[in-house]
Amino acid sequence: MIERAERAIEPSLTQEMEITGEEIERRKAFLEFGDEDVERLMSMNELAQQYADSVIEAFYRHLLSFEEGRAFFPDPALLERVKRKQKAYFVRLTQGNYGPQYVEDRLRIGLLHERINLPTKLYLGMYNFYLRTVASYLLEAYPQDSKKAFGLFLSLLKLVFLDINLAIDTYIHKRERTLRLQQEAIREISTPVLQLRQGLLILPIIGVVDSLRALQLTEQLLRTIRSNRARVVVMDITGVPVVDSKVANHFIQTVEAARLMGATVILTGLSPAIARSLVSLGVDLSRIRTVGDLQGGIEEADHLLGYRVVKGEELDARARPA
Amino acid sequence: MAVPILRQGSYLIASVQSELTDADWVQLGDGLAEQVGRHRSRGVIVDVTALEVMDSFAARALSTIASMTRLRGAETVIVGIQPEVAFAMVQLGLAPTLVHIVTALDLDDGFALLDRRTREDAEGGRGG
Repeated sequence: MIERAERAIEPSLTQEMEITGEEIERRKAFLEFGDEDVERLMSMNELAQQYADSVIEAFYRHLLSFEEGRAFFPDPALLERVKRKQKAYFVRLTQGNYGPQYVEDRLRIGLLHERINLPTKLYLGMYNFYLRTVASYLLEAYPQDSKKAFGLFLSLLKLVFLDINLAIDTYIHKRERTLRLQQEAIREISTPVLQLRQGLLILPIIGVVDSLRALQLTEQLLRTIRSNRARVVVMDITGVPVVDSKVANHFIQTVEAARLMGATVILTGLSPAIARSLVSLGVDLSRIRTVGDLQGGIEEADHLLGYRVVKGEELDARARPA
Repeated sequence: MAVPILRQGSYLIASVQSELTDADWVQLGDGLAEQVGRHRSRGVIVDVTALEVMDSFAARALSTIASMTRLRGAETVIVGIQPEVAFAMVQLGLAPTLVHIVTALDLDDGFALLDRRTREDAEGGRGG
């Protein structure tokens, strides 16, 4: 499961998440992570190699004792693979060289965990477990020199916080991207431009209109005017809950832009409340054609385009000689 | 670059093929106003399909051209303003400059519009 996902990941997460070399340095500076920390960590490497297996074993025993943890390891082969990777990471913590490549690796691993939906409580819990276990091993290794042991531990703590931060950032980054995509999708869906007849477009607007949506809406309308060779557009705002002066100005801009392309816009569906608020705000809509409801708007549009809608029976009656 | 002015029946067509300098716009306006009289044209079509940018001077120039030709007895239609250009113009607040000019989607629609207008005028003339 994990290896398959790994191959699909794009190469430079650091770029995508804008974690530049400078940014890495800033983060390290904030944690006061310096050269002496790197030295201290590297001095622990031998110890880490020695204890890696027992730390990893202890951790997975702990993780698997929880139902939520077990759910991630349906088969033993996977568990073995993940253990190997965890061990590699555990040793990596004390191997120095915490530059861009190290950061990229952390982000990649963070994204993997996000993909398999590992809850952050387990993620952070894992780090906590490591730190506690390592702390006790360090005290064991330097029974006479607890000050040294504590110094080593603090260096490790800084690095671990750097890593945690990166991992959590991938979670946030991923969710934000999903959110953005969904917002785009909603916007796309919510402003369809429909052709009712040759030369006549309907633009039903539903929901709150903000600046961004107004821009998109205008762009989409203008493109459709060109592609469908529309001459009249009925813009219905029955479904817009609030129209303040800002939104009204957006509508005015849309109408003017459409006019520059030779299309007439008819605005329909202004509710009494919106009409009142526009009047009291002093918004001047006199340059815009407004009609009460969608039906009236379409009738007006038909008139402008020279269409006449006549019931079949009436037409028959008229055609019959008197 | 000077814009060639073509005659098509009772209409004049000026097709702007590249960005014009301020002087070019003035020259185009003078040329159109002069030829409207010479050919007794009823309509003018300025085609700006090829323009990717329209600044405030160009917008004002178009508005001036429309007013000048109207005084000389011909209706002007601006055709081919691209979606991006229309959008940018509105954003720049240029739309009020063009509030009195007539627009159409393209040359085809521009002709249709002029035909309709001149016919209405003729009918109105008979009625009065």
